[in-house]
Amino acid sequence: MEIRVSRRICYMKKAFVVFVLAAVLVAGAFAGGGQETTQAAAADTSVSMFQLKVEIKDALDGYAALYSNATPGVTVSIETLGGGGDYGGAMKAKAQGDQMPDIFQIEGMGGYEIWKDYIADLSGEPWVNDTDLELIVDGRVVGFPVAIEGYGLAYNADILARAGIDPASLTTRDAYESAFQTLEAKKAELGIDAPVSMAASLAGGMWWVAGQHNLAAYWGGGLDFTDTSVIEAALQGKMDEPRFREYAQYVQLLFKYADQAILLNGSYDDQVGSFAQGRTAFLHQGNWVDPNLAQLGVTFKIGYAPHAFLNTPQEGLYLFAPSWYVVNNQSPNAEAAKDFLAAMATTAQGHNYMVKEAGMIPAFKSVTLAPSGQLSQALMAANARGGNYGVFFGMLPDGAGQNVFGPIYDLFAQNPDDLEQFVSDMKTAIAGLPNM
Amino acid sequence: MKHNRLVNILFLAPTVFAFLMIIIVPFFFGIYYSLTDWNGVSPNVNFIGIRNFAKLVSAPDFLHSFLITMTFTVINVVLVNVVSFFLSLLVTSELRFRNFYRAGFFVPYLIGGIVLGYIWQFIFNSIFVEMGSSLAIGILKVSFLSRPETVIWAMSAVNTWQYAGYIMLIYVASIQSIPASLMEAAQVDGAGFFRRVFNILIPMMANAFTISLFLTLTTSFKQFDTNFTLTNGGPATRFLEAPVKASQLLAMNIFNTATANRMAEAQAKAVVLFVALVVVALIQVSINKKQEVEM
Repeated sequence: MEIRVSRRICYMKKAFVVFVLAAVLVAGAFAGGGQETTQAAAADTSVSMFQLKVEIKDALDGYAALYSNATPGVTVSIETLGGGGDYGGAMKAKAQGDQMPDIFQIEGMGGYEIWKDYIADLSGEPWVNDTDLELIVDGRVVGFPVAIEGYGLAYNADILARAGIDPASLTTRDAYESAFQTLEAKKAELGIDAPVSMAASLAGGMWWVAGQHNLAAYWGGGLDFTDTSVIEAALQGKMDEPRFREYAQYVQLLFKYADQAILLNGSYDDQVGSFAQGRTAFLHQGNWVDPNLAQLGVTFKIGYAPHAFLNTPQEGLYLFAPSWYVVNNQSPNAEAAKDFLAAMATTAQGHNYMVKEAGMIPAFKSVTLAPSGQLSQALMAANARGGNYGVFFGMLPDGAGQNVFGPIYDLFAQNPDDLEQFVSDMKTAIAGLPNM
Repeated sequence: MKHNRLVNILFLAPTVFAFLMIIIVPFFFGIYYSLTDWNGVSPNVNFIGIRNFAKLVSAPDFLHSFLITMTFTVINVVLVNVVSFFLSLLVTSELRFRNFYRAGFFVPYLIGGIVLGYIWQFIFNSIFVEMGSSLAIGILKVSFLSRPETVIWAMSAVNTWQYAGYIMLIYVASIQSIPASLMEAAQVDGAGFFRRVFNILIPMMANAFTISLFLTLTTSFKQFDTNFTLTNGGPATRFLEAPVKASQLLAMNIFNTATANRMAEAQAKAVVLFVALVVVALIQVSINKKQEVEM
């Protein structure tokens, strides 16, 4: 009896201890985040950065370590989540958990609208006058351009030479049409499956090639680099129909001469792989495929032709900053975070990291290093030459590309003869933009 | 020994706490957010009543997702249960190597839906298409995944392949729990195989049908992972004049709405999914319960 009672008390004590422990752990989990950062700030400034470009993870980690070593009292730590990861979801979790990073990444106005309460004014930073691609909202600079990305229609120079096509002549839709016809007629002789490697399918997850990058030609092609009038009108629900019809005929051309399996079903790997193996002469992708092409052992010469959808010549490529770093204005480390970004843009070490380590095209004019990829070099040359076009799909409401334009392009790819249906679908979709 | 109330409460507390914080509280928060215009981040949350729900009624993409989810559920529930029932008959017969088959049919269930989706995507898009063009079989030349009218069937086939082994195990357990004397008596009385299956086996297995139908119904309704990797919602099709994604089931529609930072709208869709699922599942269980026999 005696023993039983004491054992029972013992159980109760243990249960109580377990309960208290559990409660403490839970409380700790809720409160922990905030405390930790403040403690760290007192001793040593630690700048946390949360970024989504998986492909530059190692390079950026390396640069952060270099910077931390060279800057006493400051430690920069990088966290990367991207590729298939849900960066936006993770950011929201961090915000809810009071663990906002000091530097994070947004991909345009959509992101700005979501996070504007956390985004610092960077107008006074030293790199602002060295770039054209900073993110400006209401006259204030808020975003540091991560890189320049861009695209045109990439071509395999060897195949074009063998087919007798001069890539420099590809500046109008008619020129493209006759080039595609030539290639189509010489398919067997050139050993290609189809003239164009284009992807537009929802199934392959490639809606963005058509519904975002290709459609950008309608928004900005042939206009001044900063002319947003076409997309501004679209955001009001209005479509410039004559211009759109010209553009739609170009899309039709690309779809008709595309490898149908890739167009209707292909993944990114299928699309890039076909071009890399010389089974298609043109590739509708940006300079981010450079590392993929190198990996696939591409040795032929590659260049960029413009997306010339009009019959008046267009020669520019499409250049943009795909994302921007922003500084968390509510962080006590905001100044240290700004210094880190400034060093990246203004020091030789920073330039070396951006170009040589990460393989990016920096958006800063003072950078003199050249990237190694052929398409990146073509873009850099185009950037120096000028006369390029802006890319404005970032101004659209979130989800417009994937959920609205994506299915329309997929349907048009299934039935490229029905141009009227495509135009009327797009007209309806644009009319619906103000309500999104 | 009499249970001490305090001990009971203390032992329950951690799990009750977790259950409250992870299921109950978010559930009511979810209902609340479905009535607001919250974007997931902004501290400004405005109450807008049922406007989110009103919007859904006229959104072709949502209506299509709802309809296609229902269709998928019906096809899937029938396919999975019919196939797994036949498999269970097979592996409880006098077949040689039946234990090997039992394990074999169950293995696909152990493969994650994500991996499985990619594997079957390759099979549908590359292997079948290649077979179609080299053997000149017209129907295989265009992938089943790129045709709006076949994509749901392809998804159901993959889901059946994955899930039938699992449901088979439930049926096997149920068949084995039927007293052998019952089947032997019927056999002695001259009942043939089909008569035994329809007049003894199936009525005696009624509770297994309740569970299996419930499981397949709820998993089909909430299907996401295989949908995401196998078809990604594609291809596009036309519904109520609007271009929509032919194979975008409800869960994926909710996901795509949420990732476009329309949290409140996504939440409203989730509430609709929840209500629909509860209603359908309750009807199914109450009908099935009536068929069950007490031993």
